[in-house]
Amino acid sequence: MSESTTERRFVAEDVETELKQFLEKSTKTSWESDTDLFADGGVSSMFAMELVVHIERSFGLAIEGPDLRIDNFRTVNDMTALVLRLTGSDAGE
Amino acid sequence: MSDDLPGLISAEVGDRAAAWDLAGTIPVEVLRRLGAAGALCAEVPAEYGGPGLSSRRNGELTAHAGTLCSSLRSVMTSQGMAAWTIQRFGTRRQRAEALPRLTRGDLAAVAFSEPQAGSDLSAIATTVKDDGDTVVLNGHKVWSTAAGYADLLVVFGRYQDGAAAVLVPTTTPGVTVRPVPQPLGCRAAGHADVLLEDVRLPAAQVLSGTGQSLPLLTTLALTYGRMSVAWGCVGIIRSCLRAAAAHARDREQFGKPLAEHQLIARHLAELLVAEQTATRVCEHAAGCWDDRSPELSTAAVLAKHVAAGHAARSAATAVQVLASAGSVDGEPVARAYRDAKLMQIIEGSEEICQLILAERALEGAV
Repeated sequence: MSESTTERRFVAEDVETELKQFLEKSTKTSWESDTDLFADGGVSSMFAMELVVHIERSFGLAIEGPDLRIDNFRTVNDMTALVLRLTGSDAGE
Repeated sequence: MSDDLPGLISAEVGDRAAAWDLAGTIPVEVLRRLGAAGALCAEVPAEYGGPGLSSRRNGELTAHAGTLCSSLRSVMTSQGMAAWTIQRFGTRRQRAEALPRLTRGDLAAVAFSEPQAGSDLSAIATTVKDDGDTVVLNGHKVWSTAAGYADLLVVFGRYQDGAAAVLVPTTTPGVTVRPVPQPLGCRAAGHADVLLEDVRLPAAQVLSGTGQSLPLLTTLALTYGRMSVAWGCVGIIRSCLRAAAAHARDREQFGKPLAEHQLIARHLAELLVAEQTATRVCEHAAGCWDDRSPELSTAAVLAKHVAAGHAARSAATAVQVLASAGSVDGEPVARAYRDAKLMQIIEGSEEICQLILAERALEGAV
């Protein structure tokens, strides 16, 4: 798990689609973009770590330090915003 | 920095593991030399002065240490877990300041457990409170491995609405480190309780800022520990296999070597099966780590669970094969017998590992 951040840029729709596919495959449940994954009956801390590692690998980035705050992973929308920010994809053309 | 870290560990341990076990301590200069070579946290990247080993190569290094001295290997687990926590949760500045210290000879430990928070880390009661540009810690940590040697503790506690890991130099006023008297196993690993009484530190010592979740924080940190303990157990099993095979080859009873007695031969086969099984499951977990596979957190639990169980059974088997020759305190299999039992308890007890794995089974993860 060495640090590496790519120059790849992403659009929100693609990030959302990828994240939802991973969530559905892993949890056998489909998730809305604004559903809190960690609310009661949601996913475990083990799965939270899987999410972190999955996002890092899928989007070629390192999530470290303050970016690991749980609020960045609560919903698909939160994770999408994190990916766009860390890859510089939210900076406009 | 040495290219031959296994050789360096072999040279530092020599034939002294039994004496360290009996004395309950490893000379701190040995730990500082190994630390300064980066051997205690060998996955720390080169940019922070570490050897930058892959999980797989560090795993083999950890197993090597485990064959020689599980107390030293436990110190490696603690230092590595501290470094990993800093690497994951630290800001760029915190990483740049703290990690090079851990590869230059400073010693570190992590502090999770408390009197009422063992398997249930959600019961952690240690508090971290803001006070201007400082934070104040209060709490009681128990069984912090390597804390008896540590210059720096990574303390997990409650902070604002969530949790935080805080870098606490052991020289800070209000920090008291009390060695656990005569632990069952890994006797020279520096197990200690830590009292934190109005420990005031600059707010910059809080890793990761605000809003961290305690379960994610501890799961990320413990995953390194589980990998390290699992590989350490591989080392214990290898040591037991070696000792049992040598004894069965050399000792004769009823006119022939023990190895030619079929019931003893079966023990040797079981030891080999244990060594191979534990090695393969650790290699799989290390591969997940190096490939950044999301399966990593579960693979680490599986590796720790399988390897610790095999280590405990293998150590008991090896004592059985060596019989009186293995029943002297400090002897490799006698140490393995005591050390391996602790491996079924730390970094997620057998039962906690089973609960996590059962959860995965129900999720249809495999």
